[in-house]
Amino acid sequence: MLRLELKKIFSRPRTYISFGIITAIIFIIQLAMYADGSSFVGFALQGVGEQFDIQGNVMNGYLVTYLILQSLLVQVPLLIALVAGDVVAGEANMGTLRLLLTKPVSRVHVIWVKYVSSLVYAFTLLLWLAIVGLGASVLIFGTGDMINLKSDAFIMLLEDDILWRYVAAFCFAALAMATVAALAVFMSVLADNSVGPIIGTMGVIVVLTIFTNLELPLFNLVKPYLFTTHMIAWKGFFDVPVPYDAIGYSAIVLVAYIILFIVSSMVIFNKKDILS
Amino acid sequence: MRFVWSVICLLLLSSTELFAIKADTTASVFEQLKSKLERIEDYTADVKVNIDVSFMKVPPLTGKLYYKAPDKMKLERKGGISILPKKNMSFTLNTVFPEGGVTVIDAGEDMIGGKQLKVIKVIPDDDKSDIILTKVWIDEQRILALRTETTTRDGGTVKMNLEFGKYADLALPDKITVFLDVKEFKIPKGVTMDYDAGQTVSTKKEKDAKPKKGEITINYLNYEINKGISDDIFAENE
Repeated sequence: MLRLELKKIFSRPRTYISFGIITAIIFIIQLAMYADGSSFVGFALQGVGEQFDIQGNVMNGYLVTYLILQSLLVQVPLLIALVAGDVVAGEANMGTLRLLLTKPVSRVHVIWVKYVSSLVYAFTLLLWLAIVGLGASVLIFGTGDMINLKSDAFIMLLEDDILWRYVAAFCFAALAMATVAALAVFMSVLADNSVGPIIGTMGVIVVLTIFTNLELPLFNLVKPYLFTTHMIAWKGFFDVPVPYDAIGYSAIVLVAYIILFIVSSMVIFNKKDILS
Repeated sequence: MRFVWSVICLLLLSSTELFAIKADTTASVFEQLKSKLERIEDYTADVKVNIDVSFMKVPPLTGKLYYKAPDKMKLERKGGISILPKKNMSFTLNTVFPEGGVTVIDAGEDMIGGKQLKVIKVIPDDDKSDIILTKVWIDEQRILALRTETTTRDGGTVKMNLEFGKYADLALPDKITVFLDVKEFKIPKGVTMDYDAGQTVSTKKEKDAKPKKGEITINYLNYEINKGISDDIFAENE
């Protein structure tokens, strides 16, 4: 059944739109950095540059990849919603859901397979992001020490201390994307057409991301409970020292959300009267 | 009465003489120190740099430091990024003194590390000089500056402690510690999109605990002196 679900996902043209969009955005960022990276670095480092002379290959592949991830890990969830939001609602829309449920498998199993197939898609997309983002950036810009700017800190990482951080960051990003896929599947169970869950998932992510990034006392109260706050914990791997406790807490929150969304999907789908 | 006036005149004359001798000695010590420093035209040294600035998290950096008189300096780290304070906070003694004519004033004596040191103040004759005042603590026996305090027009005051060993004869230190004032570093969180879940409290505590002072330590592991360095080495800096 999983193989069938994967075949459904990867035989649709819309699946590859996401890969195309990611490749195009990465290429544009790399081109911009190649053409005018020094101005960008000068602007970004102006606070430190007033007091220190910073020399060397600052705009290297590792920094470019970080910038790509910072830009894209807000958009990638939207691309995941495009496919994961369609897995149940799409079938309901096409009228194939009842046919699917005639198979001798439980509804819980159906949701589980739908979710796992969405995960495979999400992880493939992330792997593509890693190959094109990290691989191509390193080839074009070379390697070197990496500078990471936080709102109140200037962090420098030595070249031989970076690659493991990317591996860890991508692993955490996979967990974050698994949360998005779970939300999209949950939305998909609630609807009978694919547009609603896709837009619904995108809307939730956009609104919660705005809450996460706005520095207002009212939002600060709810921020720790929003999954979007914890989705950016991959950045923690580029801090010194790495805040393992905070990252671990974020991972627990994301896993809790995944369980909540998937169990809710299973419960709702189990009770749902399938009319299509 | 005539006798009293004679004594007063004699005392005044001798004190003026003493001041003149003292001023001569101070200027002479400064000149000796400067001429010692001027013997160094260039050097390269393997160095280990530790940067301890409240907002910077930088690991110890190893690299090759290039210096060429009068003020060219570059830290090269094979393919890596190098961070050094701006030119007016240079690690080289030659550049902590104002250029051109100076007035040297005796500022008494001070004890550092159980050693009695002569303190002199160096003031530039040129009103437009970037360096306004340099205070130097000098070991008169070895003619070595063990501490400097340089006030520049726009870079604040930079203090520097120097420790000498193998290359003391050439006035080249084994270790330099620079203390500098650093400005606050702040970028809006909306731009950096910081991840700070669970870290907010600890970060604030850390910020409160550290004053806005920077400390940069350079350990010189070895020197190659006056072997000639091409200006091309410093091209990126310029």
